[in-house]
Amino acid sequence: MQLKKVMVWDLPTRLFHWLMVLAFALAWATHDASRHLDIHTIAGYTFFGLLLFRLIWGVVGSHYARFSEFSYTPREVLSYLRSLMGSGVKHYIGHNPAGAWAIFILITLGLLLAITGVAVLGGEEQQGPLASYISFDQSVPFSMLHEAIAWLMIALVAVHVSGVIIESMLHRENLVGAMFRGTKWVAGESAQVSPHRLVATVILVPIIIWSGLSFNTYLIATDDQPYLPFKGPSLAMNELWNEECGACHLAFHPSLLPARSWQHLFEQQQDHFQEDLMLDEETLNELLQYAQENSAEQKKTEAAWKINRSVTDDARPLQITATAYWKDKHSDVSDATWKREEIQSKANCGACHYDAEQGTFQDAAMKIPK
Amino acid sequence: MKNRVLMIATVVMGLTVGVQVHADSVATLQSAYQAQGAGEFSAGAGEKMWQQPYLNKKSGKQRSCQTCHGKDLSKIGKHARTGKVIDPLAPSVNGERLTKVKFIKKWFKRNCKWTIGRECSAQEKGDFLEYLKGQ
Repeated sequence: MQLKKVMVWDLPTRLFHWLMVLAFALAWATHDASRHLDIHTIAGYTFFGLLLFRLIWGVVGSHYARFSEFSYTPREVLSYLRSLMGSGVKHYIGHNPAGAWAIFILITLGLLLAITGVAVLGGEEQQGPLASYISFDQSVPFSMLHEAIAWLMIALVAVHVSGVIIESMLHRENLVGAMFRGTKWVAGESAQVSPHRLVATVILVPIIIWSGLSFNTYLIATDDQPYLPFKGPSLAMNELWNEECGACHLAFHPSLLPARSWQHLFEQQQDHFQEDLMLDEETLNELLQYAQENSAEQKKTEAAWKINRSVTDDARPLQITATAYWKDKHSDVSDATWKREEIQSKANCGACHYDAEQGTFQDAAMKIPK
Repeated sequence: MKNRVLMIATVVMGLTVGVQVHADSVATLQSAYQAQGAGEFSAGAGEKMWQQPYLNKKSGKQRSCQTCHGKDLSKIGKHARTGKVIDPLAPSVNGERLTKVKFIKKWFKRNCKWTIGRECSAQEKGDFLEYLKGQ
């Protein structure tokens, strides 16, 4: 039989496919690293944008990219899967019924993943378009959904990749290569699609410019002027607090412990970690008032909210380092790191957190000194 | 020309006021100490006490003013426990030092207790000021 080389996947479809893979992998790699939350977010928005493009392209795109070309009934999927066991497997030039369903489910999950991601960004970080609409507490279910959907997607990707390998072997056809080159060797009649290079340029250029601008900030950052994405609103400061507490140690912001802890701490000011603070009553009252108005319960930052959540109601820790959240968050910092010349003490927050004095403790405002 | 004269006058006046504030706070405190029964103040006695180590019973370690303020008062010191940087104490390099009566009183109280284990006497505090103001 005469084989003919035809263009099956246009350039925008292929770009969409591989950029999705890249964006998903980047977001997955950075999902747990607060320091790289900006990369996670940029990858996530790119992912979202690509999916929205695909929805449009599924309607107005070239022949094999259109949803209508690969919409199969569940019965067709089942009969295709059953035929895999037999000998007479039908050969599809575009997507086969099982692959098509995987794509529809992946696109749906992808959209849900992106939407819940924006919700988590708004709630947990108070950043992005939903920042003022979702509270810290309301972000919890979104966060759980976001993670569950990501795992589901990983599982489905595994199914999708297995399918690609199985079908490539069954038909002795390199499907992965076809997704790169866009062409397949086809016997008989097939639609020949245009590569649509202009559309591909229209999606590629903004992504390159945007990520270039975002990541360029890393290149121009220096140790003295580090790149700090995610600047949030600043916290209330108190001159007396900074002067009194800051004379001997970092003036830990009151948002880092619950009000009952501060109350307890000032009650025993004559034995403040073996020092006598000797604060007069007027000073004490002002400090306590500032502490209570800005304590962890006020949930003014992500750190405040999470610290407060991690302290049981009957506990009133005197050290931030004694809270469960702090311990968990710093569990992967080794003893050797703590002993470094620039760090020395667990109370020396400013050694790694650029915004320790401001008390904001933004996720990405952090770097462990070498 | 007129502007420059004005500028120089302002700077000179600013400096004088600065020196005066410093002199005033120290003088105010010293006369208060004398009213409490202290005699003449000696920079030498102040210096000697400043450098003398005292044994702290709780920690079993020697403590002196230099533990945190360092040996050279024109340089930064380091808090013995937290490592927090302490600005130089010498008024010759740090104009803010010895200018606020309330501040001086507070730190005499805290630091005498930490270093020596008791509050300092009026005579001792006056001697310290006599020594420090010349640094």
